[in-house]
Amino acid sequence: MEFIISILAGILFAAGIYNILQKQLLRIAIGTGLISHAAHLFILTMGKLKRGQPPIIQEGITQYTDPLPHALILTSIVISFGVTSVVLVLAYRTVNENATDNMEQLRGSEHE
Amino acid sequence: MLFAVLAPLIIAFFIPFLAKSKEKLHTGLFTLFVPLLIFIYFVRFVQIDFEPVKQVYKWIPSLHINFDFYLDGLSLLFVLLISGIGTLIVLYSIYYLERSEKLGHFYVYLLMFMTAMLGVVLSDNVFVLYTFWELTSISSFLLIGYWHMKERSRYGALKSMLITIFGGLSMLGGLIMLSVITETTSIQLMIERADLVIENKYVPLILILILLGAFTKSAQFPFHIWLPDAMEAPTPVSAYLHSATMVKAGLYLVARFFPLFHTYDLFVILVSVFGIMTLCWASYMAVRQTDLKAILAYSTVSQLGLIMAMLGFGTNVAIFAAVFHILNHATFKGSLFMVAGIIDVQTGTRDIRKLGGLYTFLPITGTLALFGSFSMAGVPLPFLNGFYSKELFFESTLSLQTGIYDFFLAIVPYLAIFGSIFTFVYSMYFFFGLFGKKKAHAMNNKQTVKEAPLGMLISPAILVIGVIVIGLFPNVFNKSFLTHAATSIQQTAAIDSIQFWHGFSTPFIMSLVVVIIGALLAYTRTTWEKVYDYVPGTLSFNRLYDYSIHALDSYSRKTTKFYMTGSVRTYMSIILGVLFIVSFIFMYETDGFTISFSDLSDITVLEIVVVIAIIVAAIGTIFSNHNVAAILILGITGYGVAILFVLYRAPDLALTQLVIETITVTLFLLCFYHFPRLQKRNETKRNIATNLFISVGFGLLMTMIAISALSSTWFDKISDYFIETSLPIGGGKNIVNVILVDMRGIDTLFEIAVLGLAGLAVFSLIKLRHDKEAK
Amino acid sequence: MSNFAVMPIIIPLLAGILVAFFHKKLHIARFLSKLFIIISFAITSYMTYIVFTTGNLVLETGSWPAPYGIIFVADPLSSVLVLTTNVLSVACLFIAPKLVSDEKESYFFYTFAFLLISGVSGAFLTGDLFNLFVFFEVLLMASYGLIVLGGNKIQLRESLKYVLINLFSSVVFVTTVAFIYAVVGTVNMAHIAERVQEVEQQGILTTIAIVLFFVFATKAALFPLYYWMPRSYIVPNPVVSALFGALLTKVGIYSIIRIYTLIFNVEVSYTKQLFLIIAALSMIFGVIGALSTSNIKLIIAYNVIPSIGLILLGLAAFNTAGISGSVYYLVHDMIIKAALFLIVGVIAYIAGTANLKEMGGLIHQYPALGWILFISAFVLAGIPPFSGFIGKLLLLQGAFEGEHILSIIIALLSSLLILYSVMKIFIQGFWGEKNERIERKPLAGHVVPIGFLIFFSIFLGVAAQFVYPYIDVTATYLLDPELYINSVLKE
Repeated sequence: MEFIISILAGILFAAGIYNILQKQLLRIAIGTGLISHAAHLFILTMGKLKRGQPPIIQEGITQYTDPLPHALILTSIVISFGVTSVVLVLAYRTVNENATDNMEQLRGSEHE
Repeated sequence: MLFAVLAPLIIAFFIPFLAKSKEKLHTGLFTLFVPLLIFIYFVRFVQIDFEPVKQVYKWIPSLHINFDFYLDGLSLLFVLLISGIGTLIVLYSIYYLERSEKLGHFYVYLLMFMTAMLGVVLSDNVFVLYTFWELTSISSFLLIGYWHMKERSRYGALKSMLITIFGGLSMLGGLIMLSVITETTSIQLMIERADLVIENKYVPLILILILLGAFTKSAQFPFHIWLPDAMEAPTPVSAYLHSATMVKAGLYLVARFFPLFHTYDLFVILVSVFGIMTLCWASYMAVRQTDLKAILAYSTVSQLGLIMAMLGFGTNVAIFAAVFHILNHATFKGSLFMVAGIIDVQTGTRDIRKLGGLYTFLPITGTLALFGSFSMAGVPLPFLNGFYSKELFFESTLSLQTGIYDFFLAIVPYLAIFGSIFTFVYSMYFFFGLFGKKKAHAMNNKQTVKEAPLGMLISPAILVIGVIVIGLFPNVFNKSFLTHAATSIQQTAAIDSIQFWHGFSTPFIMSLVVVIIGALLAYTRTTWEKVYDYVPGTLSFNRLYDYSIHALDSYSRKTTKFYMTGSVRTYMSIILGVLFIVSFIFMYETDGFTISFSDLSDITVLEIVVVIAIIVAAIGTIFSNHNVAAILILGITGYGVAILFVLYRAPDLALTQLVIETITVTLFLLCFYHFPRLQKRNETKRNIATNLFISVGFGLLMTMIAISALSSTWFDKISDYFIETSLPIGGGKNIVNVILVDMRGIDTLFEIAVLGLAGLAVFSLIKLRHDKEAK
Repeated sequence: MSNFAVMPIIIPLLAGILVAFFHKKLHIARFLSKLFIIISFAITSYMTYIVFTTGNLVLETGSWPAPYGIIFVADPLSSVLVLTTNVLSVACLFIAPKLVSDEKESYFFYTFAFLLISGVSGAFLTGDLFNLFVFFEVLLMASYGLIVLGGNKIQLRESLKYVLINLFSSVVFVTTVAFIYAVVGTVNMAHIAERVQEVEQQGILTTIAIVLFFVFATKAALFPLYYWMPRSYIVPNPVVSALFGALLTKVGIYSIIRIYTLIFNVEVSYTKQLFLIIAALSMIFGVIGALSTSNIKLIIAYNVIPSIGLILLGLAAFNTAGISGSVYYLVHDMIIKAALFLIVGVIAYIAGTANLKEMGGLIHQYPALGWILFISAFVLAGIPPFSGFIGKLLLLQGAFEGEHILSIIIALLSSLLILYSVMKIFIQGFWGEKNERIERKPLAGHVVPIGFLIFFSIFLGVAAQFVYPYIDVTATYLLDPELYINSVLKE
């Protein structure tokens, strides 16, 4: 099953990147969402799957799933949330100021 | 000695204050005593039984960079030139520069240069030498740009800096290599270990790098182009830096490293070939110039080429002649530059076409010029020092070691004659162009031209007296001075006595040929001038330089514009493309990919269903053409991931994921609901192909690394420790929570910081608009 | 004692939180930020002193023993870099009231700046790979806050690109941490190093190392991953550009140095080739970029790239001279880049434009600024006796010992062109006829902080005797990863 999840995460990465390579900002934002999911799945899988009970200490249980990836993912989820919210607001403001959501029209060349 | 070297720099710090405080006195007067004292300090070393002096002052001993001053005959020659001519130049400049100029700057630069130049010729440590070397370039840059309001000055300053610093940097490369090979930073020790260098496989490269430094500094062909443009500097500067001292630093460097390389054929070939070429080309070009200082600049280049060639020949006579000519050139060329300056000031022009018949107006100046230019021409008269060294030069061209490159050796004497003929021609052109008979369209306000003030004449007069004294009594300077300089380049390069009359030897015949043909050509100059339309015509290295600078700017503009498109798509494609292609190469080269099916968990139907749902949703986001639909589909993948978290026994994760996903989707909807509608992707086939290639390639890379990583779990996880200690030490049953708040509490603390920052960023994004920058 | 290792992170964090409460009372916020940065500077100096006299400071947070808990390691490399960070932060925060508008200051400028410093120090000091990711996020989030501050059209547009690319590289980073965890079962860097050496970096590890390298190379703005950098560095306020130019890319190259000296130092032949190529191309394309523009800010922004390339060259040489050159150059570059970004910021402020073609003759009104720029150009190009020279000398020695001749020649040529690109600003901007249009504004408050940085640069060069021995210790230390490992996993 680990391999299947790895493939799934790979597909999520690919789909996310495909979206990031688009012109419209919404698609790019969606792409970033997808790759964060992919990353979290990778982290989870790297601790191996279904190797025991949920990591909450109970009497009589010796086998628990690896708790460290869970902690790492939790940190990462919260951070991605923060970043995503900044991206969204930034995108919103950019689109309003520049009056387009097309990244190809947001190239800019006035610095040269 | 350290004090002597640094004194000018230290004084330079005080100059700005002096320049401000004084009103009546010329700043130059304060400066004058500096080179004079240095000259007096060093002149006492001139004696027959002179022994090299070494003094060490620590600077950065841990890097073996110290002020190791080494005063031998060669250094002494240069030190006396620098301080002696420096004194005369400062004296001259007092009358040349008006007090209204920014004199403070001028003297600061000049003193800075003095320190730098003294440092170059006295340092035995290669890196200290390099430090001073670049400082000479910098002060030269500032002095050329002294009148920076003029476009030509800025152009000349930049040009000289680019070329000399280019040379300096390549020299640095060579010096670094030398110091690594010989494991020392001392030139004298390097010479002792010359074998190590000559046997090293990089010796041609090292040699070329070091010679580049020397050739650019000494304005050797084809790097000579900066020197004529450097004439934009005030004339005292031209006389001092760009004739008498700085441009000779390259010669000094070649002479200094002569013992290290002289057994190496390439050294001999390069130095003599470039020297001779420079001599011929520059003397030929000098006749074409119309600006007085340009004539002198080209003549300087040609004389430098002559000395360089002699250093290349490397015979005893040649080395001695080189040293002798360094001294002679400083005297006659210095005086000629000062003459040019006087004429510039007194008549208001430097264009030789507008000048003529000045002898009646400027008799003293004219006399000085007469001696200077005839000495430069090598006219065989016993009171002109130029003749002696010129004749030694001819002699050295005849007595080259045979065996290497015979063809080249055969033509050397002819090239020497060619160069000398044109030297004769430009000397005459200079003198008679100014002081000969009046030209038809010359300026007509001659009545106002007066002889220069006495102060301005002192310095050139002293130099001309030098010309005559050396000419009359060459042997006075020989044993106590020149011999030491020559033998410090080559042990055996001493000459018993310098004679005016050798009998009708070949060198004397060569001299006669030069004088006769030279006089003829000088007389008929106007008839053959057209030759310059063909050679060099419009081709020149100046144009090459201008073109390169222009091309550098325009090509870099084009290149940068080509890839810096400002498009995220391009940036991401390149970043991703490079990342996954290089990673795949590495994976292939290091046999990175491994797969092992042991130790995997089982597959259940439920999981497969969720996985397929997520895949479908993920791909669906690409095809969706509706804002809300696309966002909701993204939500589906998120919730799918949450379900997977549940299945894989991560309850905390699942809960968090659900909450966060919900908020994210809401945020998305809030922000994007009012967005322009999603359009069809509208990609070209080629775009689709690249996008697919990159995204699939990268996804594949990640999957393959993941599979390999899962197949090579060689170690126990540190998590076992967390499971064991969570309850007894951490005091919590939920291991993940204990990790988050205790074992890895710092992560959580800063995760909160990130969230807080995100909040502030969002707040200021929304609130702060159209801020007016800068107060 | 070992608590000192966390001080450079905690003090700016607390300061950042504290000044957030005074965002309406700017005079208090300014005073506090100056006070705190000086405190931080003082404590960091003391910490560095302890590290070099008594050895590494290892702080196990919450007393959870390494390799289980998060640790902070103040070793020679990290303490030198943290100290440098504080030096340039002092200058930046002192010049900020002059260059940043009141409005921006009141929108949490100081909080973002302090958290940026905190994040950077954290990244230098942490001994835990995942924690490094967290600190990267802290400094990135702070940088997002700084880069969007003001929010005009162009700024928003370039910020968006900046955020997107960094977001992506962060995601790849965290994924890579997971891969490493799968293979060696730990996230503590010393522990990872120990285990990687135990299995001789076989199998997938080298590939993971390369992905990680690219993640850091994106942050460090190495060829061909720097596209996001030049324009996004010039859109915010000059003080922000200075902090970015001096700190952000340097964290990337620090991470590369750390990871490749400590962990992935076994299988190096291919990696070395890759480093050499990337270093050379960074030097070439960086200067090409710098020559391509007449926007003075952009000139400096492009100049970030070749220096990073040069530092990578030292790592590729992988000998004492090379590594000490890299570290020396890194320290030098942090300071001079901050100074240069501030200088061009001030120039653009007085000239009212960043376009070189519209300037000229500034030396008549602003001689001090002109000469500071003049000296900085030589400092940047590595002309002695300034700081760049010592670093470059060591780097080139290291490269020659490793027989990387082509790289040496490219490095020397790029130095020349770097000098040219900056000297252009001096010649075209400062020389020439006096421009009467420009009125004289008082600049003492601007010039003093910049002068402070230039003073450090000169000190690093002229007084290298007082600095180099420490850098040499650092390089020897970096070449022996056992020292780091033993100091962390002392059993």
